[in-house]
Amino acid sequence: MQLPAGARPVQLGQDGPGILTVRWSHGHAGRHNVRDLRLACRCAQCVDEWTGQARLAPDSIAPDIHPLNIDPVGLYGLSIKWSDGHETGIYTFEVLAELCQCGQCAAAEAKA
Amino acid sequence: MPNAGPTHEAVLAALRPIQDPDLHRDIVSLGFVKDLSIEGGRVRFRLELTTPACPVKDELKAQCERALRALTGVTAVEVDLSAQVRSPRAPGAVMPGVKNVVAVASGKGGVGKSTTAANIALALADDGATVGLLDADIYGPSMPLMFGTHARPQPSGDKRIHPVFAHGIKLMSIGFLIEPDMPMVWRGPMVHGALTQFLEQVEWGNLDYVIVDMPPGTGDAQLTLTQRAGLAGAVIVTTPQQVSLIDARKGLKMFEQVKVPVLGIVENMSYFVCDGCNKEHDIFRRGGGRATAAELGVPFLGEVPLESAVPLSGDEGTPIVRRAPDSAAAKAFRHIAREVARGLAVRSMEAEASGITQGDLSMAWKA
Repeated sequence: MQLPAGARPVQLGQDGPGILTVRWSHGHAGRHNVRDLRLACRCAQCVDEWTGQARLAPDSIAPDIHPLNIDPVGLYGLSIKWSDGHETGIYTFEVLAELCQCGQCAAAEAKA
Repeated sequence: MPNAGPTHEAVLAALRPIQDPDLHRDIVSLGFVKDLSIEGGRVRFRLELTTPACPVKDELKAQCERALRALTGVTAVEVDLSAQVRSPRAPGAVMPGVKNVVAVASGKGGVGKSTTAANIALALADDGATVGLLDADIYGPSMPLMFGTHARPQPSGDKRIHPVFAHGIKLMSIGFLIEPDMPMVWRGPMVHGALTQFLEQVEWGNLDYVIVDMPPGTGDAQLTLTQRAGLAGAVIVTTPQQVSLIDARKGLKMFEQVKVPVLGIVENMSYFVCDGCNKEHDIFRRGGGRATAAELGVPFLGEVPLESAVPLSGDEGTPIVRRAPDSAAAKAFRHIAREVARGLAVRSMEAEASGITQGDLSMAWKA
C-alpha cells in the first residue's frame, strides 16, 4: 500500500494466534501474518548494514513465532518484542504499509 | 423601567462573527466562551483560549468587547482570559502529565540553541503557562549556568527525582549531577540510559510545555529523544551563515524522517544593534533563516538580534527575557515563544477536528 502523507496506524489488534491487524488513519484495514513480519525485520542483526544481504535464515524462525509486546517508536514506527527474544527491529509506518497483506494489498501485489 | 439586558442568545450571536485567526472558526463554535453571565446590562464571560501564550489574545478580547458594547441593552462588558492547553500526546507516553514536549535543536553547535530554549521556556511561563525545561545537551549542559543554580535535584522515593525549580519553571540537567568542569566522556548506550532516566524518572508533574534543549547534531541523543520523548514538535535554531544553514537543513530533515512536526526556524544572531546609535548592522547574512524556512516549507518563527546583553544575561544566571524584557532580543524571544505555542495549538486542534489523534499503539499479544 502506498501511504498517504501523514497517515499512521491508529489501532492495533489481533485476529487469532498469528494475525496482526492495523487500523490506519486513512481507513485502511491492514493485516499481517506475524511470522512474515518477523522474517521481514530490517534490523542490523537480520540484514547486513553494509552489504544489505540477509543474515536471517528463514528456517531458523519457528512456525509459531509471535510477538510478546508491540510498542510505538516515536511518531514513526513500531517495535516488536518477539517470542524468540528478538527486539531490535523498528517497523516504520512506511515499511509496515509496504508489508501489508490484506486482501486489497495482496490483490494489488499479485497484479504488479 | 429596569434594563432587561440582552438575552443569552443575543450575546452569543454577537460573538459568533469573531474568528480565531489560526483555527479559522468562530470562537462560539470552538467552545471558547465559558461562564457567560448576564445581570441586567452587565455581560461577563471567560474567553478560554488554547494557550496562555496566544499571540492574538488581546486582539480577540478587544473584538469581543467591541461586539458586545454595540449590542442593545449592554452597559458593561467584562472578558476574563483563560487557557486550556491541548495535548496531542498518545496515552501511555512518558511524562504523562506533560501536554506538549518541544525539542529545540540545531544542526550545528554555537548557534545559541540553549539560549533560545531557555528564553522560550521563560517567555511561555511569563504568559502564564506551566513549563519545564529539560537540558538534554548531556555533553555540554548549560542550564545550571543560565539559570544561576547548582541545586541538587531531590530524590522523591521509588528511584524518582524532583526537578529543580528556578525562575518559576521546572529544570533538569545532567549538570546538576556532576561537578561544573567535569567532562562527560560517554559512549552511546550511556547517553541513551541517562536521557531515558530524565524522561521516565523525573517527577515532571502536570505541565503545559516541556522544552527540550537538544545536543547539537543528529546522533544517539537525538534518536533516543525522538523515539522516547513523545515530541509534539521541534524548533530549529540557526545563524544566518551558509555553514549553519546547511546543518539546520540536516536537523530539519532528521525530524521529518521521524515524523516530528517542525514548528519552524529561528534565526539567531540575525543582526547586531549598535549600542551607540541603535543602527542595525547585518554582520552575517541576515535573512538566511527566513529564506531556508521558505525553501523547506516550514514557518519562520523570528530573528533574534545579537546584543551583548543576551550572552551576558545567560552567563549571569538570568536569561534576557527576564533581565531586560524590553530589549529587542527579549521581544524577539517572546514573539517566537508565542508562535511556538500557536503552532502547537493549531496542530492539536486540527488533529482533534480530523479525529486522527495519536491512538495507543501498545499491545500485549495473546498467545
